[in-house]
Amino acid sequence: MNLPDITTRLIQIVTPFGQGRVPVISAATELTGDLELDSLRVMDLMLAVEDEFDISVPINSLADVRTVGDLAVLIQKTVGESA
Amino acid sequence: MSLNARLQAVRAVREELATLGIDPFGVEIDQIITPTEGVIQGRPTILAGTNNYLGMTFNEACIAAARTALETAGTGTTGSRMANGSYASHRELEVELARFYGKRDGIVFSTGYQANLGMISALAGPGDNVLIDADSHASIYDGCKLSGANVIRFRHNDPADLAKRLRRLGADASKALIVIEGVYSMLGDRAPLQEFVNVKKEFGAALLVDEAHSMGVLGERGQGLVEEAGVLADVDYVVGTFSKSLGNTGGFCVGDSEDMDVLRYASRPYVFTASLAPATIAATRQALKVLEAATDLRERLRENAERLHAGLSALGFQLGAPANAVVAVLVGEKVEALRFWDHLLKHGVYVNVMVPPATPGESSLLRCSVSAAHTPEQIDAICAAFASWPGARQPAHGG
Repeated sequence: MNLPDITTRLIQIVTPFGQGRVPVISAATELTGDLELDSLRVMDLMLAVEDEFDISVPINSLADVRTVGDLAVLIQKTVGESA
Repeated sequence: MSLNARLQAVRAVREELATLGIDPFGVEIDQIITPTEGVIQGRPTILAGTNNYLGMTFNEACIAAARTALETAGTGTTGSRMANGSYASHRELEVELARFYGKRDGIVFSTGYQANLGMISALAGPGDNVLIDADSHASIYDGCKLSGANVIRFRHNDPADLAKRLRRLGADASKALIVIEGVYSMLGDRAPLQEFVNVKKEFGAALLVDEAHSMGVLGERGQGLVEEAGVLADVDYVVGTFSKSLGNTGGFCVGDSEDMDVLRYASRPYVFTASLAPATIAATRQALKVLEAATDLRERLRENAERLHAGLSALGFQLGAPANAVVAVLVGEKVEALRFWDHLLKHGVYVNVMVPPATPGESSLLRCSVSAAHTPEQIDAICAAFASWPGARQPAHGG
């Protein structure tokens, strides 16, 4: 699965979590900074992401994820490892 | 950014509470009178937020055992068991706990928090997989962090979701550690233990169950939900605490693994901390004997829990789970919850208030812990304090 496709699907999942806090969500959008997701909301987001891509993303791998794009890269890596 | 800048979020919460003039996280109990009565802010207060499920803190035999140990073995051990030596009573308590659960061996830790930290970090390491319930206690999350393992959350109390995540692990599933709690501390809801055991068996993973809020409360012998659900033999590790039903401080793990005695030496929270004081060990050993035989206390606790649950239901409150030693009232908005909590305190009832993110979901809650030592009159007084909150529905006659 290529990164643009993953990013597009991810933005669809992230959008309801953003609750309109930014007009357009992109790869550069920060999950905690721009969308103001606290740690629990990020965890809820991850459950939805894991269902969508049929992967398990360990919590400890999220430490360096700040933006939607960072998360898309992590998803691509995880999908690759579990394929 | 200064070193202390990360404290800004905490500082903001403290300032908000100061503005409201409410501080539920800094309560000082001026005087403890009985397991269920104290003096707070100069007022006689019913204690319904202390997790003192069996009222063991004032058990005369436990106090006598502690007093004897204090006078014969001194005030403290002044060091870690590995570096500075165990007292015979530490080991005796471990053997007694293992015997109580019918497990091969036990390890005593200095707190319940450290028991989870110590076991999870000793069992799992980098490259391993630990699967935890999404609503796990902070000690489980922190134990995972200390382990360096891959930490995978599954949906709360959802064995099918756990199975899905184990399946994704492929061959590694049989080497995974699953961590759940018997009864969850915030809402008082119970895990579907039999279903979790079925999943664990299907994949060959190890299962650790934290029984902090069900030991002494559930099961004929007070072993907890593992006993009530009939799954004790299939649970690899049972973790528990001395600070609730046993009325003291400390934690433990019992298990059937041949490596129980090796695990302690691989456990930094066991190795690098001071061991429990002799009086604590002595009182806990006595409390364990009392707990096992205390079917009458468990019955009284159940009656009290049902009385409180029914009373609060009749007042129209939404409760977190069926009647249990933890009765949680869902309040909704944070400031309302804080004001409600303060209202109860001013009406002589101390409960806990929990606000997001410490609570599951978005709701704040008022958490009552019921004790076998509560009298029916005290339970009614707790209900009356709740009833005096303007948002409560007035109970029907006879309710």
